[in-house]
Amino acid sequence: MSEADPGIDYDKTDVFTAYDIAAKPHPYFEYLRGKGPIVPLGYRNVVAVTGYDEGLAIFRDDINFSAINTVTGPYLPLDYDPHRPMDEQIEECRANNGYLSSVMSEDTAAHEKSKAILNGIITPARMKANEAYMYEVADQIIDEFIGKGRFNVVTDFGQPFAQLVIAELIGVPPEDRVAVRGMAADPGQMPGNLGGGFDMSANPLLRMGMQFYGYVLDRRANPRDDVLTRLCEQTYDDGTLPPPEAVVAVATFLFGAGQDTTVQLFAAMLRQLADNPGLEDRLRAEPALIPDFVDEVLRIEGVTKSTFRYVRNRTTVGDFTFEPGQHVMLHISAMNRDPAKFENPAAFDVGRKNVRQHVSFGRGLHACAGGPLARAEGRVAIERLLARARNFRIDEGRHGPQGARQFDFLPNYSLYGVLEQQMTFERI
Amino acid sequence: MVKITFREHDGSETIVDARPGLSLMKNAVAANVPGILAECGGNCACGTCRIYFDPEWRALMGTPRESEVEMLDYWHEEGDGARLSCQVLAVEAMEGMVLRLPESQS
Ligand code: HEM
Repeated sequence: MSEADPGIDYDKTDVFTAYDIAAKPHPYFEYLRGKGPIVPLGYRNVVAVTGYDEGLAIFRDDINFSAINTVTGPYLPLDYDPHRPMDEQIEECRANNGYLSSVMSEDTAAHEKSKAILNGIITPARMKANEAYMYEVADQIIDEFIGKGRFNVVTDFGQPFAQLVIAELIGVPPEDRVAVRGMAADPGQMPGNLGGGFDMSANPLLRMGMQFYGYVLDRRANPRDDVLTRLCEQTYDDGTLPPPEAVVAVATFLFGAGQDTTVQLFAAMLRQLADNPGLEDRLRAEPALIPDFVDEVLRIEGVTKSTFRYVRNRTTVGDFTFEPGQHVMLHISAMNRDPAKFENPAAFDVGRKNVRQHVSFGRGLHACAGGPLARAEGRVAIERLLARARNFRIDEGRHGPQGARQFDFLPNYSLYGVLEQQMTFERI
Repeated sequence: MVKITFREHDGSETIVDARPGLSLMKNAVAANVPGILAECGGNCACGTCRIYFDPEWRALMGTPRESEVEMLDYWHEEGDGARLSCQVLAVEAMEGMVLRLPESQS
């Protein structure tokens, strides 16, 4: 991807509505970085963070920074009144807006309770145990298009793979999985949608909640060997059993959270393979490099461009003093390219020593619960695709030649990704 | 508050005024202990908040649950002197305890 200046006057452009920035975020991030690691945008009461150390300090501070705006950004329905206690206003806002009560937006005690349900559920060790299934599903999906010599990474591979893996892992019964397959969020109705409007109730993944309620009641009565049963058996720190609704909320969120992100990870990995001649053969010859390849793609492509925090108390990070009521826009993808942290940050380098220190899964108390799963899916996908086909190329008829590619990007200020990615290959 | 020392692999130390009832990991992160990476934020899912303790603190450190044992195995921690600090709550009786941190977290 060219990093050249796309000729946008960033001083006069609103990042929350501009498709051009959603499609090409890095020149914008470098423009911000030029102004400093923490920069007030001058609109919507937003302060942008591109510095690695600064962002990390904010991720780790859940006392002064609330997570209530992680999914809404500055479109949070809260007009801060400095004459009333902050916590009261945050809790009022949460109580009036159901979609702000997922684990991702919860704070302190409530968040701790949801996290207790997730504790130890998705670990690298457990993912090893599920690997055989992941290989099997990857091959079944590849079988569907291998004869055609071409595929759309998003719909032909990414979505079914991510969906079936999480469905199996959580324990959605096989007879319900057909319905799961093909369920995808409307790209114009996802959190982070440009312009701020999105309808969570339109998201089919989150509408699975009712079904999950049934599963949870069933697992409490008839335990099985699956994630749902383990979620159902988790206890809070004081030893009590969470109510079924709390388990349903966490399970449903897990189910939805890991799909669009993981799909974009697959697409980004395949773009890198296509645009770096020789890389395919190198990974085939040295499969032990694949985990670092996955992480370097996460670092440089940044599926989650941005997340948010809401300033609860006046607090200083680096040289900057945040004021209550400000929205902090943490540019994860910019932190991942901070030259103070990553040498030659815009270069794709599978051998990068500190690649695992990227923050694509966030950090601190809200760090991604699905990281070990996403990494395992990424590795298995690449292993199986490389074993079954070679010469993965972006379809130039559809997307144009390297250096002048045309993709339709997600119209989103939080997520980075493409709506479609047509590729060709040769069957092995 | 309880004073707990976190000793990095290179020998440097941070003395943390820990709040009882809060996990050792959260206390360490709040005090900016460099060697507690805690990448997963306390999910028992990454194993980057490992701590080593001496036998005299054994009784206070409790026993890990199955998922934590898996995580410790994953990092090849043998013997019973290691835990994930996100899974251990600070208690008053830990006053003066010294915890050592692994090289992979330095
Ligand atoms: C490449 C794939 C993925 C990426 C890049 C990603 C990224 C992230 C990021 C950046 C956050 C933190 C947001 C913040 O702190 O504001 C997060 C949170 C979360 N993710 Fe992921 N994620 C991915 C896949 C998954 C998967 C597969 C699952 C589920 C199985 C998942 C479940 C979650 C959950 C439950 C949270 C909320 C944790 C909390 O707030 O405590 N993610 N993710």
